[in-house]
Amino acid sequence: MDTADASHHYGATTNEEKPSLLVLILDTNPFAWSTLSSSLPLQKALAHLLLFLNAHLSFSHANRVAVIASHTKEALFLYPRSHATPEPTTDPSNKYRLFSQIESCVQTSLRSLLASTTASSLAGTNETMMAGALSLALSYIHRICHVDNSTIGSTAPRPGEIPRQDQAAMTARILVISVSGDLANQYVSVMNSIFAAQRMRCAVDICKIAGDTVFLQQASDATGGVYMQLEHPEALLQYLLTAFIADPATRRHLVPPSQVNVDFRAACFCHKKVVDIGFVCSICLSSQLSPLLSLCFMLFIFCSPPPGALCTTCNTRLDITALGNYGGKPAFISGKKKKTKKAKKALNDSASSSMPGTPATAT
Amino acid sequence: MAPSATIRGFDDYLQSLPPITFQKLYQQPATALAIFRRMLPSLAKIFVTTLLYNERPIPLADLQSWVRTESYREREDAFIKLRRLHIIHENGAHINLDPIFKKNFRLALTGGGDHHSFGVPVAGEDKKKVDIPFLDKYAASQFDCILHYMVEPSGTQQPGQGVKHLLSTSGLMRVSSTASKITQAGFSFILQEGNAQIWVLLIQYLEMSESLGMEKTDVLHFLLMLGSLELGQGYSVATLTQTQKMMLTDLRDYGVVFQRKSTSDRFYPTRLATTLTSDVTGLRTAAAAFSHAVTASSKEPSDDPEERGFIIIETNYRVYAYTSSPLAIAILELFCKLGSRFPNLITAKLTRGSIQRAIANGITADQIIDYLRVHAHPIMRKNVLILPPTVVDQIRLWQIEGERMKTTPGFLFRDFATQWDFDDTARYAEEVGILAWKDPKKRLMFATRTDQILDYLQRRQAQGGQAAVQAGKKV
Repeated sequence: MDTADASHHYGATTNEEKPSLLVLILDTNPFAWSTLSSSLPLQKALAHLLLFLNAHLSFSHANRVAVIASHTKEALFLYPRSHATPEPTTDPSNKYRLFSQIESCVQTSLRSLLASTTASSLAGTNETMMAGALSLALSYIHRICHVDNSTIGSTAPRPGEIPRQDQAAMTARILVISVSGDLANQYVSVMNSIFAAQRMRCAVDICKIAGDTVFLQQASDATGGVYMQLEHPEALLQYLLTAFIADPATRRHLVPPSQVNVDFRAACFCHKKVVDIGFVCSICLSSQLSPLLSLCFMLFIFCSPPPGALCTTCNTRLDITALGNYGGKPAFISGKKKKTKKAKKALNDSASSSMPGTPATAT
Repeated sequence: MAPSATIRGFDDYLQSLPPITFQKLYQQPATALAIFRRMLPSLAKIFVTTLLYNERPIPLADLQSWVRTESYREREDAFIKLRRLHIIHENGAHINLDPIFKKNFRLALTGGGDHHSFGVPVAGEDKKKVDIPFLDKYAASQFDCILHYMVEPSGTQQPGQGVKHLLSTSGLMRVSSTASKITQAGFSFILQEGNAQIWVLLIQYLEMSESLGMEKTDVLHFLLMLGSLELGQGYSVATLTQTQKMMLTDLRDYGVVFQRKSTSDRFYPTRLATTLTSDVTGLRTAAAAFSHAVTASSKEPSDDPEERGFIIIETNYRVYAYTSSPLAIAILELFCKLGSRFPNLITAKLTRGSIQRAIANGITADQIIDYLRVHAHPIMRKNVLILPPTVVDQIRLWQIEGERMKTTPGFLFRDFATQWDFDDTARYAEEVGILAWKDPKKRLMFATRTDQILDYLQRRQAQGGQAAVQAGKKV
């Protein structure tokens, strides 16, 4: 009977899944971490993160990680690093070698980064180089997923062609551990990075431990990543291992942690303020819009009509009168007294009829 | 990540082990890590990480509701795997990780402890330096030797006695007193890719090791540990058990590890070993990695034409192979009709007859196509489609020709008490994807596996029982 069956090869079809690259961006803003020191000190957070990286690596032999620090004035790689790192000190027979390598590399580079941060170098800054870190991450992903592989396989992207995740040999995602507040100053560069990630189909996950950033919410929303504001920062590890461990391929099967309201506001380009309503030049499309909903393109946005009605980009004289009284207070037109009296009476009647015999009126 | 077909043998082997063996296996962090990495689908891995740092059991329903309803099958598949490998324990509606697995998997991730399960590296240089290209060459030559022997048993290259014994017990070779001959299983073995071949040999080895009186868990520990070692690093023999020392001599014959002398105090895992627990797709196949490493190390294109590719196929099904290697010729002969032979060239033809013969020998069209593609001549590689599409399609068509009928091994279920009983069970079987056929009128169904259904029936009975008890209390 079995000899009659030559179709056994059909059973051999399996859906092999691609290995995945995780780029972790760690916000190392010392101000933010110092405020967190009671619930989640940096050392503890780092221990949780390293364990999380190990868990990611243990998913598949070919999985890879990279760690980028987004510091106050620079963004730099903590792992991998080009220069040699000291050998891990722990007994190598009790730990998977790759794990201890990454651990010691991240620890030493973070230590040297923090040692080089002096009080004077921190003066006058209270933000984090998120835009720089995001672009470092994206270029690293591009190199690992597209350039390096093209030398091996025959699937090299042709010049000018935009490589996409589904053609690459690896899937990639970015996880941002964010503790700082707003990034309004870096609005343009952050948004450009987000659009780049969107085009590369690279999910940006945001793990928000403290602070509040409008643009990172938009990042995860635009790229299909997870956004999570931690209620209990001390349980970071459990959040990481539950919500952020799934690679893009597995996420198809999971109900994503829901994100209720995405704040889609933009920042104006002139004062870097987050605005509800922006103004855009009608000539050079630096366009006229109320809440910026479409994220697929970027426009030059003013928070108020530019001074002198001159567009700062194209120098066109704009007809501000076309805006009419937009943004002004609605004029109050006083009606006739009689009418108001009548209205008041009607109001009183309806009020008294609607709540008959309240104790106050009864006494 | 669905374990690939290549690992399926090992999967089945593991699942046939009794629970007590798993308890022993999970004692070693490296083994826990290797099983986690290699044997579980990715959804199951996420369940494990979720449970890993939860001290208390969590409701099963919570985990289930986390997966989209469309992915029902993947979810059930994940849970079945976890149950079979005894990684989760279920207590009513709650679920938790096996305590031993949990403890040791945590240890694997955090490091520490005193188990030496990731191998003890030998400090200091060996007297003669062993570098990675050397190890690659060694492994390639050992493994090629086995393949050569299979194709040409009377040839000059003879592997060790252990290998011969293994090949005959595994049914890849038929050994008689006068001459050995390769079997059908052996033919399809030769055309598989490297990682799969190694696994086939190692599973046979596992089964054979029991009859040799070796401790099974020791053997498994050692095999799974090999996957977490680092290429090019020497490891100490001293911490190995007696069984594992015995294994070293055998694995040396397969090219999986290198040891200079059997009395030497260190061994080196080769690329075959370190890719054991990795995914086939993640890295290039072991064989491709070899040729890549070998060509990279010698800097100039190597002289051996086999590494560059040597087969030219024309759209008229003619095959020209620039080779004089007996192994390559023997493999080509499996599915080609050989024409003439020149000092460095073989001409052959793909015909319906030759392909049908190969298929009758258990070789699949995909294996043939893959072989041709991997070994295509550089000239062929300049084309966008390496092989002529007409030829590829025709090979597939020739294969389909023979498929008028399909057999499915499985189990017949009958004598269901009620129609509801039948419908419910059949629905479950269909959802899990093991239902092959059913006849609701006769209450008959045919499924490819029984264990999942038994599992389901038991759980249903338990739940039904609980419901009945609760109902009784209310009354």
